Amino acid sequence: MPPKRKAVGATQAGVAKAGRTSALSTPGPATPRSLESSFQSDGDDDLDDDDVDETIKRKEEVIAREADEFVNTWAVDSTRFQSREQGNGSHRDGATQFFGSGKRDFSYLNLKPDHDQKPLWIDPEKGTIILEKFSPDADRVTDFLVTIAEPKSRPHFLHEYQLTAHSLYAGVSIGLQSKDIIDTLDRFLKTPLPESIRLFIESCTKSYGKVKLVLNNNKYFVESSDADLLQKLLRDEVIGKWRVQGSGDITTSYAPTMGGLVIPGTKDAAGVNQTDLNKNKKGAEDGAAAATGTNEADLYAAINEEDDEDDKDAVHAFEIPETAVEIVQRRCLDLGFPILEEYDFRNDSNNADLEIDLRPNTQIRPYQEQSLSKMFGNGRAKSGIIVLPCGAGKTLVGITAACTIKKGVIVLCTSSMSVVQWRQEFLKWSNINPDDIAVFTAESKNKFSGNTGIIVTTYSMVTNNRERSHDSKKMMDFLKSREWGLMLLDEVHVVPADVFRRVISSIKSHSKLGLTATLLREDDKISHLNFLIGPKLYEANWMELSEKGHIAKVQCAEVWCPMPTEFYDEYLRANSRMKRTLYAMNPRKFQACQYLINYHEARGDKIIVFSDELYSLKQYALKLNKVFIYGGTGQAERMQVLENFQHNPQVNTLFLSKIGDTSLDLPEATCLIQISSHFGSRRQEAQRLGRILRAKRRNDVGFNAFFYSLVSKDTQEMYYSSKRQAFLVDQGYAFKVITQLANIENTPDLAFATPQERRELLQRTLVDNEKGTEDDVETDDLFGKVGRGRGGAKGRAAAVRRMAGTLGELSGGQDMAYIEQNKAANRGLKKKGAAKAEQSAFFKKLQREKERSRALARQG
Amino acid sequence: MFIILTPVSDGVGVLIQCEPAIKSIIVHLDSVNNDIIIEDLDEQTLVVKENMVQLLKQKLEDRLKETYRPEEPLADSD
Repeated sequence: MPPKRKAVGATQAGVAKAGRTSALSTPGPATPRSLESSFQSDGDDDLDDDDVDETIKRKEEVIAREADEFVNTWAVDSTRFQSREQGNGSHRDGATQFFGSGKRDFSYLNLKPDHDQKPLWIDPEKGTIILEKFSPDADRVTDFLVTIAEPKSRPHFLHEYQLTAHSLYAGVSIGLQSKDIIDTLDRFLKTPLPESIRLFIESCTKSYGKVKLVLNNNKYFVESSDADLLQKLLRDEVIGKWRVQGSGDITTSYAPTMGGLVIPGTKDAAGVNQTDLNKNKKGAEDGAAAATGTNEADLYAAINEEDDEDDKDAVHAFEIPETAVEIVQRRCLDLGFPILEEYDFRNDSNNADLEIDLRPNTQIRPYQEQSLSKMFGNGRAKSGIIVLPCGAGKTLVGITAACTIKKGVIVLCTSSMSVVQWRQEFLKWSNINPDDIAVFTAESKNKFSGNTGIIVTTYSMVTNNRERSHDSKKMMDFLKSREWGLMLLDEVHVVPADVFRRVISSIKSHSKLGLTATLLREDDKISHLNFLIGPKLYEANWMELSEKGHIAKVQCAEVWCPMPTEFYDEYLRANSRMKRTLYAMNPRKFQACQYLINYHEARGDKIIVFSDELYSLKQYALKLNKVFIYGGTGQAERMQVLENFQHNPQVNTLFLSKIGDTSLDLPEATCLIQISSHFGSRRQEAQRLGRILRAKRRNDVGFNAFFYSLVSKDTQEMYYSSKRQAFLVDQGYAFKVITQLANIENTPDLAFATPQERRELLQRTLVDNEKGTEDDVETDDLFGKVGRGRGGAKGRAAAVRRMAGTLGELSGGQDMAYIEQNKAANRGLKKKGAAKAEQSAFFKKLQREKERSRALARQG
Repeated sequence: MFIILTPVSDGVGVLIQCEPAIKSIIVHLDSVNNDIIIEDLDEQTLVVKENMVQLLKQKLEDRLKETYRPEEPLADSD
């Protein structure tokens, strides 16, 4: 009886582990304790998803804080895996202190005799693995490493990987045994495998897959084939409490919660379970729902539902409320029984199948296939995140996943424009019936026609917790009432963790797939996604993709622009807001920008210039007479400018504020200049680079896209710049530093060439920005407002002002005449276009006749 | 960044030759108490009091560190 044997092993493992952790150190009893105390204080509240009131908000805050603490305790370097006696002390020598004040002296790990043939180094404390890419064995070991560890940094010669609990689970789930992992690592390491790492791998892999989280009939169940294990979990103070809703009954005693409700795995197992596990003999519980009524909580729990899995073993389960899913998941991981979230979609007969298949002519690229094979490793769908660079076909990966699962799909994206794009892509790549794919945005609230289908919507539509219109409320109820086969989460990095919590707790799906290009947040909340969505399943190697031509090759450069003295003097005096404006308005930077635009336009490149600073964006664009788009540009004008940029050979340069950072698809662009940016945001840098990765011309021989970052010397920008580049450098990009642009003095019409002009610029900049009228807040993206709720309303309220004045002032009669000096290039486009269209044949004829008569008069 | 210090003959002052940016910082430091600079010569040169040189070096170092470190935490929460 294999399951029985497994069961024994599991309990032993649990006991052994508990013993070890407590013997070695204090691994983190603080986490569960504080969890308990904070949640008890919340009391019993009615969990109504619709109106997120104060208590829930408070609860969310608490969860977020707990999550922070927890994520920190669950790492290799957490003391639980580190034995104290092994290690530094004994092997100190004169050089030790130079390696992290002695903490990183690993000389006690003896090198193997043939170490120069081996490609791997390992840090026994952090679980960091360093791969020598130039070693002959490197290629063989790379695939293995990608399977069991997360890539951290992949420049040309040395790659860095990190062993994490999640990455090891991912490895096990595709069939690797812990022995395989340990043996393979040992074979390729230059040193023997450290004991701490071996323990870590074993503890992570041994208990994998024992406990499952199953969504059944719109309720979450913790399920296991091992009844004892479930008992153990229920006895746990954190999980037991969550078995039923509310936390009141935990205060009485453990006995009534123990045993709990068990849902039989198969029809014939029902009787067994009842006698086996209802030890507390609460009459209410083993009957049908109707029999209870004494206890609301029991009523909630006592729904017997048959599991759709078809195995012979009894599967035991207890129900947890959706709000507790994350807590229970974390707690189980802490106990050493990571919860597995897999969806056996092929055997799911409860949910209707969806008619969807990839079109026969659709070809998936090798890396897309590889990423999906990680998701469907064992024939079931795992939840997780796939990381692909911008322009590498994330959408197609999502669509292929939907075509594999063939159940109801809900797609969440960041803006209403990408909702439309997603729907179009679905129609383009798959044979789905257009009636089966519906859109849920502020404008349209359709449902699909059949009994299952695809819904595309935005995060803000789903999480908006203010009052809704009747239609969208109905739609939300519909979304909540269903079970979805797959939840596709686009651009997962942009959405704050609490929004995810709300989405995931209100909409129930069997599997979740997150897609992103840059799994990065400066606030380091990324690790929370491991619990909310799932582990990182796959991360593409940017360099490899660009070598194979899937994304463009890019030359990166950082151009250092010295600040003229008068600007620097002002910079030293200014406050931080003004400092940002000043280093963006640095005239040398302006000149460099002008020079680069001239140079690349002459080469035939299409250039995008990014500026976060609205003031400088406008000044640059007006002075250089280029088109620009920022938050305040109207929808029609945006479209016109974008179209012109794409097709008009006269318009080769486009200035964009940060609204263009993401989800802007301009395959014509081949050169990118960045004049100001958002502090040290690595993500923004990578997203901006993404704008040129899908360059149409990328497969031309010798083609290179260019990415310039203009930085004012001796300012904070230098610091930010080096921070921003960290992510791209990890992906293997090298930034060249340019301190001097050749022949920049000889540029015709060089802007601000004389000190006089520079002083004027400085004065103007100071005066214009002192007023503080420039509203620098941009909340929307390139294609219309997102987040209609919060940001938008604020902006609009501020737009209307009431002030006293004379009528003469209003009519302009008070002081001066109107002259337009710096005309925006955008208007030029419009007028040209308009003029051509407006002149009808009749007026043309009239004009011709007039000219003819004039010519005659002159002759005569 | 380079700074050349040359004692001026009377021993009271020191001639400083440096990058314009450094000079700007020195001028800025001086503007608090006006007790550092004797003579401001041009964009890259100035004469400072000899007894203030040590203090100036110290302050300059602090200032440069500051320049390369942000004053506010990295905000990237959108």
